[in-house]
Amino acid sequence: MNQVLNIFRKDIRHHWKEIAASLALLLGFMWMQLQEWAHSDVKAYDLGSIAIFGFLGQLVVPLVPISWMFLIVRAVQGESLVGDRQFWITRPYDWKNLAAAKLLFILAFISLPLFIADIFLLAKAGFSPLSYVGPLFWLQLIWMLILFLPTAALAAVTRSIGQMLLALLFVVVFVIALSALSEAISNSGFANFSANVIFLLTIATVSAVLLQQYSLRKTGQSRLMLVGLAAAIALVLVATPYRTLIAHEYPLATAASAPLHLTLLPPPPPSVGSTYNFGNNMPVHLSFSVSGLPKDSFVLLNGRIITLTNSRGAHWDSGWLASRMPVFPDQSSMSADFYMKNDEYDRLKSSPVHAHLLLAFTVFHDKDQNQLIVPSGEFFLPGYGFCSASPRSWAAASCRVPLRIADYLVLTEEMAKSTCPLGKNETPANPGDMARQFLENEGPVEPGISPVGIKQVILYDWTHSDRRIPGVCPGTPLTVSYPEETGHTRIELDFDNLPLPDRRPGSDSPGFFGSAIILGH
Amino acid sequence: MTTAIQTDHLVKKFRRVKALQGLTLTVPRGAVYALVGPNGAGKTTAIKILMNILRSTSGRAEVLGIDSSHIRGRLLESIGYVSENQEMPEWMTVGALLAYLRPFYPAWDSNLEADLIKQFDLPRDRKLRHLSRGMRMKAALASSLAYHPKLIVLDEPFTGLDPLVRDELIQGLLDRAEESTIFVSSHDLAEIETFASHVAYLEEGKLRFSEELSSLVDRFREVELTFDAPPALPQQPPDTWVQLSASAAVVRFTESRFDAERTNTDIQKIFGEPRNVKFSPMSLRSIFLAMAKSGRNSA
Repeated sequence: MNQVLNIFRKDIRHHWKEIAASLALLLGFMWMQLQEWAHSDVKAYDLGSIAIFGFLGQLVVPLVPISWMFLIVRAVQGESLVGDRQFWITRPYDWKNLAAAKLLFILAFISLPLFIADIFLLAKAGFSPLSYVGPLFWLQLIWMLILFLPTAALAAVTRSIGQMLLALLFVVVFVIALSALSEAISNSGFANFSANVIFLLTIATVSAVLLQQYSLRKTGQSRLMLVGLAAAIALVLVATPYRTLIAHEYPLATAASAPLHLTLLPPPPPSVGSTYNFGNNMPVHLSFSVSGLPKDSFVLLNGRIITLTNSRGAHWDSGWLASRMPVFPDQSSMSADFYMKNDEYDRLKSSPVHAHLLLAFTVFHDKDQNQLIVPSGEFFLPGYGFCSASPRSWAAASCRVPLRIADYLVLTEEMAKSTCPLGKNETPANPGDMARQFLENEGPVEPGISPVGIKQVILYDWTHSDRRIPGVCPGTPLTVSYPEETGHTRIELDFDNLPLPDRRPGSDSPGFFGSAIILGH
Repeated sequence: MTTAIQTDHLVKKFRRVKALQGLTLTVPRGAVYALVGPNGAGKTTAIKILMNILRSTSGRAEVLGIDSSHIRGRLLESIGYVSENQEMPEWMTVGALLAYLRPFYPAWDSNLEADLIKQFDLPRDRKLRHLSRGMRMKAALASSLAYHPKLIVLDEPFTGLDPLVRDELIQGLLDRAEESTIFVSSHDLAEIETFASHVAYLEEGKLRFSEELSSLVDRFREVELTFDAPPALPQQPPDTWVQLSASAAVVRFTESRFDAERTNTDIQKIFGEPRNVKFSPMSLRSIFLAMAKSGRNSA
């Protein structure tokens, strides 16, 4: 332990400037957070404050983890593990003590300040830090696994900051190449399995590299292990049986077990207006009427795959396209959109196509409904955070959300009951027309530097997506429910003889649908 | 145990290059053992294997009775290592370096540390990066002597130092020679001649010889024979005669196993009775030059 503390004290003396800079950035980040919260009310979120805090926030947010990385690299390379000329390798260092001293350094000057900052921010945001001790440790663990360990591993196989930057450049190039490879692999968007495998492989490899470097200093082998990791990640990406996994995770629904029934709607008549430029990509749109969804249920469209085959055998497969689109029981229609390359579209459109559509859903039982009359000022939305209504804004409410929220949450507003005043030329909504939002907890914790995020809750009329939502004002009744996931399923639909109309690049048509190809009989 | 270092057919290959070709040597405890040889002979490679900085390709080495591949951690508490190529923590002051290293060594002697600082005239509050090369070597040596190491390993410690600093370092070493074994590599014979008790000569990864310095100096003589007329040189001179040459009526050679009676007998057998026979002691440098030029192994 004496040796650990001795090395630790030496590192503090050596790196006090970097430590001070990192802590100053964290303090700056905390100040920014407090300022951002003070301006999070959409009324006050004017262009000026967006510009100032947006710019500062964009500057500080990446600088904090960069300063952490720099600190880790400096600490690890303080006793460089690469080469055979370092004075320390002929001194009675115990490698376990050396590694422990570096870990202590990271914990003391990165993890602990972050932990304290998070407790402070939680308390300032109105949340009891004691209620979030578990998620706070989760957050620490996530930072350790995602950033600190890989950074330490790269620092352990490089001699200097210059070499480290070169290694990071390789990582960036690899990620870009991987992204390009992923684009080329059908269904790789269904990344649940491969992402987990890649994550575990990465953690295991960087841990092994650190262990090997500290115990044996076999840099060549360690570098090979990292190259091997890159190859393994590419292999996982290529070799994952995506279709099998999709079929396994989303069992095929029978006519009786399907949570909803979908009927392809005919394409609407061409309309006139402006055109969006989608470049080389052609949006393809399918609309369905929805029926059969029980009143106390709803589904979430997690992903879709469409394959088109024409009579000449030409074939196109969209691959898995992920989404998080809810379909509620009072919704009369839903859509599924795809993008095709223009040349692929042209290749297919010579004859009518057969379309095979796979839609993957998560089914929810909507329960624990609570009525809430929105008060004036800030109010607590149970399971979510502290919110303020944002009348006449693009967002219904602005909320401070802590590390962990309810697993699933649905906000519903009957638009006709909105207490917000109508705008000019605005007509009241029809009774029974609903605006909703589906919110979910996306992991053990929301990863980030701050334990509190600012979320703008946007309500949608999912049936009439182009309709303006009257908004939420003090006195507006809201329904909050906490749905329960009941299962996954997929629906597969086949459509024969779908004509593919000519593309209309530059045609005058309104919005998305104006230039989209709309498939239907 | 009477040996401090023992190597047995040590081989080290760097891809196709054989840096060491079966090095076998024994360093007795208490010796001041000098491993000499030209640049690229394999001296640093041998030392790095002894210090477990490099792994040998084959063969084995023992340091203080321990397999050198296990030399790490606490085993380094009794070994001091100083190298001309060592990367020191340049940002530290001399005092901070010594204070930092102190807790690593249970046998650290603060009085000795103070003595060494004084003896080497080291400025405690100056950063290593601001020290001259000689001062840095002195600081490195002080930090390697202050814990009474049983073995001090020095890799080319005197390279590029002025004679004054070199003498200070050597004196510092000699002051501790009684309690330690000193293993020092050098390509400069003059600098080790004054203090080494044993010497080994390494060339192209091969050990040419290894013996006590006194016996080496005793057994080498420069022999000059003067005749009345130019003599004929023998086709097969004795194996112990090195660099045999003649110039007019004078014959010169180096006797590598000098024994006055036996050498005189050999001379008379080959040349008869020269007019004059002169045996001159040789400097270490002359011995090594003769060895290097002849390319013969006198061991």
